[in-house]
Amino acid sequence: MELLRPSSVEELDGGVPVHGGTEVVPLLREGLLAAETLVDVRGLVPRGTRDGVIGAGTTLAELEVDPSIPSALREACRLAASPQLRNMGSLGGNLLQATRCWYWRLGYPCRLHGGDRCHARDGEHREHAIFANGFCASAHPSDVAAALVALGARLRTNRRELAIEELYRLPDEDDRRTTTLEDGELILEVELPSVQASVYLKAMDRRRWSFPQVGVAAARVGSETRIALAGVAPIPWRIESAEDLDKVTPLPRTEWKVPLAQALVRRALAAVD
Amino acid sequence: MARLIRTEKEVEGRFEEVWIVVEEDPLEQWPEGPLSVVGRDAPRQDGSLRVRGEARYTADIKLPGMLHAAVLRSPHAHARVQRIDLAPALALPGVRAAIGPGEANGLEEEAGWAGAPVAAVAADTFAQARAAVEAVDVEWEELEVVLDPEDAVRRGLVTGEARRSERGDVDRAFAEADVIVEGTYRTQTVLHNSLETHQAICEWQGDTLHVYISTQYIWGIRQEVAETLGMPEDKVRVVCEFMGGGFGAKNSPDEYTFAAAELARRTGRPVRCALTRHEEHTSAGNRNSTIQRLRAAARSDGTILALEGEFFNSVGWSGWSSPTEGPMRALYACDNVRTVTHAAKLNAPPMKAFRAPGFAEGTFGLECLIEDLAARLEIDPLELRRSNYAESNEGTPYSSKNLEECYRLAEPHWERRHEVRARSDAVWKRGVGMASQIWYGGGGPPSYAWVRLGSDGRATVITAMQDIGTGTRTAMAQIAAEELRVPLEKVDVVLGDSARGPYASISAGSSTTPSMGPAVRAAAADAREQIEDIAEQRGLPKNTPVEEVVGLLEEAQILGKGARGPNPTGMSVLTFGVHVVEVAVDVETGEVRVERVAAIHDVGRIINPLGASSQVEGGVIQGIGHTLSEERLLDPETGRVLTTSLDAYRMPTIADVPEIVCEFVDKPDEHLTNLGSKGLGEPPIVPIAAAIANAIRDATGAEVHELPISREEMLRALEAAKEKERRGAPAAV
Repeated sequence: MELLRPSSVEELDGGVPVHGGTEVVPLLREGLLAAETLVDVRGLVPRGTRDGVIGAGTTLAELEVDPSIPSALREACRLAASPQLRNMGSLGGNLLQATRCWYWRLGYPCRLHGGDRCHARDGEHREHAIFANGFCASAHPSDVAAALVALGARLRTNRRELAIEELYRLPDEDDRRTTTLEDGELILEVELPSVQASVYLKAMDRRRWSFPQVGVAAARVGSETRIALAGVAPIPWRIESAEDLDKVTPLPRTEWKVPLAQALVRRALAAVD
Repeated sequence: MARLIRTEKEVEGRFEEVWIVVEEDPLEQWPEGPLSVVGRDAPRQDGSLRVRGEARYTADIKLPGMLHAAVLRSPHAHARVQRIDLAPALALPGVRAAIGPGEANGLEEEAGWAGAPVAAVAADTFAQARAAVEAVDVEWEELEVVLDPEDAVRRGLVTGEARRSERGDVDRAFAEADVIVEGTYRTQTVLHNSLETHQAICEWQGDTLHVYISTQYIWGIRQEVAETLGMPEDKVRVVCEFMGGGFGAKNSPDEYTFAAAELARRTGRPVRCALTRHEEHTSAGNRNSTIQRLRAAARSDGTILALEGEFFNSVGWSGWSSPTEGPMRALYACDNVRTVTHAAKLNAPPMKAFRAPGFAEGTFGLECLIEDLAARLEIDPLELRRSNYAESNEGTPYSSKNLEECYRLAEPHWERRHEVRARSDAVWKRGVGMASQIWYGGGGPPSYAWVRLGSDGRATVITAMQDIGTGTRTAMAQIAAEELRVPLEKVDVVLGDSARGPYASISAGSSTTPSMGPAVRAAAADAREQIEDIAEQRGLPKNTPVEEVVGLLEEAQILGKGARGPNPTGMSVLTFGVHVVEVAVDVETGEVRVERVAAIHDVGRIINPLGASSQVEGGVIQGIGHTLSEERLLDPETGRVLTTSLDAYRMPTIADVPEIVCEFVDKPDEHLTNLGSKGLGEPPIVPIAAAIANAIRDATGAEVHELPISREEMLRALEAAKEKERRGAPAAV
């Protein structure tokens, strides 16, 4: 395996981008990601915050103490992972996390791996999705992504600008990917609109170092109140209102997430009101 | 003087009758209470070695020329090897040897669970060994997979006969009862997850096999390896100086040791075989899940008339059926008790002993049932427990029992419940719960120690025991220092090597201190008597300091030897305790926070209060994981473990640890050895789950019946309590 360290975005030519390594290294170790070439992009991706624009190379540890960013993002960072991981993990990398679905992690030939069934639907799925789970029942693990969706963030890559919601797509028969990021495309910056109030609430099965069972971000942006959830669908999941939680399609062992999501959404809305 | 006796030997609640040679234990016990060294806080003697990374664990040992082994494991929960070809593995770079089914103990053709060892490869690096294991060509015949314990028992798929016990007339007692409560309780499979994974390094020097191993039982490894390989025991040397935890899972050598020994024999090189964290989760043992169908009958005055339980232990493919019924049989005075315990043989990873096996699970069921009874009878739970106090163990007197004193010490903690409940608000409900603890922990013979003193005035305790991380070195040094009347810092403890000391006890069943401590004291006393003898011959006064007397020795040494005496005959040696737990429950989201644990234990004399409180804290924290967040999951279709990583299998973090208050009765058991000390390794994990569940019930009225008390179980129980209230039956708050 080789490690390249290009000095400009123009020099990018294939390979697997790696920033903090907290996502890529475990995937390589488990054989879930194959790479001949790793590309250290720390020299290419901006780091730090100015005027509502956050470099995608900023670490979660830096963001959790940054008073200039909305509290939903700060809280999402603070409640993610462990201090060691947050010291290494970058904002951009966090958005591209793979699911924690154990079937996917253990290499079962599931739909996300290109197979023809979702093992979780018929199997052990107590941590899985309550929305959009017909094709693949995996749950998206990123607290930060849910916060950014609620905040209405926009992303700038080396090729385009897009709303964060356009970064994600539900996997389907023809395309099993959960993001729209192309090969060679790097998330460079995250731009946040001005936000009146925001909050991120997270249910975990222990007090720290746990992916969200359900995470709820809410933000008041102009006249709009935006809500997004983590841990409830294969991608970060936006709902228009609390009533959207009536439209869930839980699996037998994910029904418990519904009252939990309802309680957190109620609290989040009260917090930004 | 040694004598031969027939005695009952107990480890982890398993009894066997054995003939053993024991030595008399003529020393009188020390007076009750803190002495000069014993009974006083002593920081760990090896603490600085451990925190500076200088303690050499098995995982740190690198022998010259050492090869690394990897194990091929069955991907199927039940299958038989039809054909296996090791040649593709042997052809890979760095590979030095490969062995298949039947070529080392533990490698078998029939795989009874996903993760069962089948073959092993030794290579220059671990990565090469792993790659070679992948290359082994196996043709499997897949067999029927059975995962449901009740189904297995119905079909006669068991690891042994059901265990039945009965006393009194249970049916009549139920017929005559004023109140009957019943419930089904379930406990999950949990993993030991020692910091150091299971591992061994084997090296042949001539006809002697050196085994460096992370183990709880140096002498058991020596015996089992020698027997399996057909060698004299003295030709097997076993070394374990420091280890990173065992919790019951490291009592035997298993396939990794036998594979390393065989691969070392074939290659003429030392071979290390270390399990990965993934293998630790699939193939290194677990606390088996249980189903407990329980009933209790009582008179309206609170007298428990009868107890009945049917228990299903999901043993797995092999293992033993732990005493899940034990607490029901022993905790309370009750004339009519009937239990049956089934041992389901499943295509699931085999159980191994895990900190109070059976009792941690059985106490959850029983003590939740007793809480239910208290609510039905409208009797204070502490009062109900006191009024059914057992004065004997099914007729056998206790060597000592101070549970009443534990209850007295619990009172101020129990009194806090009014103030704790008052701090509830609309969302966070607070409450207090309790549960009692009974367990073994008396240890037993044989165990031996030597003590050596030279003219420098230092004493060395020598015994081939292991310190599994519990602070044993320090406790043994304290006992020797007390008996020799020398300062603690003048005592060293040499342990961890079967070639450097006499036989020592297994560190399981809370037996290390009660088994080894008396032997160390006896050895120190032997040395002290010799020193007093010398002093007398030199005409020195009887209380001349030891350093002064041994200072006269020049090259001569004082050598003391000691042995563990017998346990009292016709008596039950048991440990007791009670936990009082405060919780807060978010009734909308099902979040449970344990806020305070008062852990009160009666384990005889406390040698090192600081070390003892560490033991209790460790047990409580591990128990909180068992109660709230840990569960090993199998795929219901394939039987494979799904929670193979530490992010899927969730142990408590330091943020989950509540305030823990430790209190000890600290009263020597006057019938037990020259120390009067019992073990403390297991007691603190026994009552914690039930105490948390009962506190949740006190806070919310919700009755939980399953471990772990996940949000799913908590929200279900809260909903059921609401439903009960809607139907008119007041929830028991």
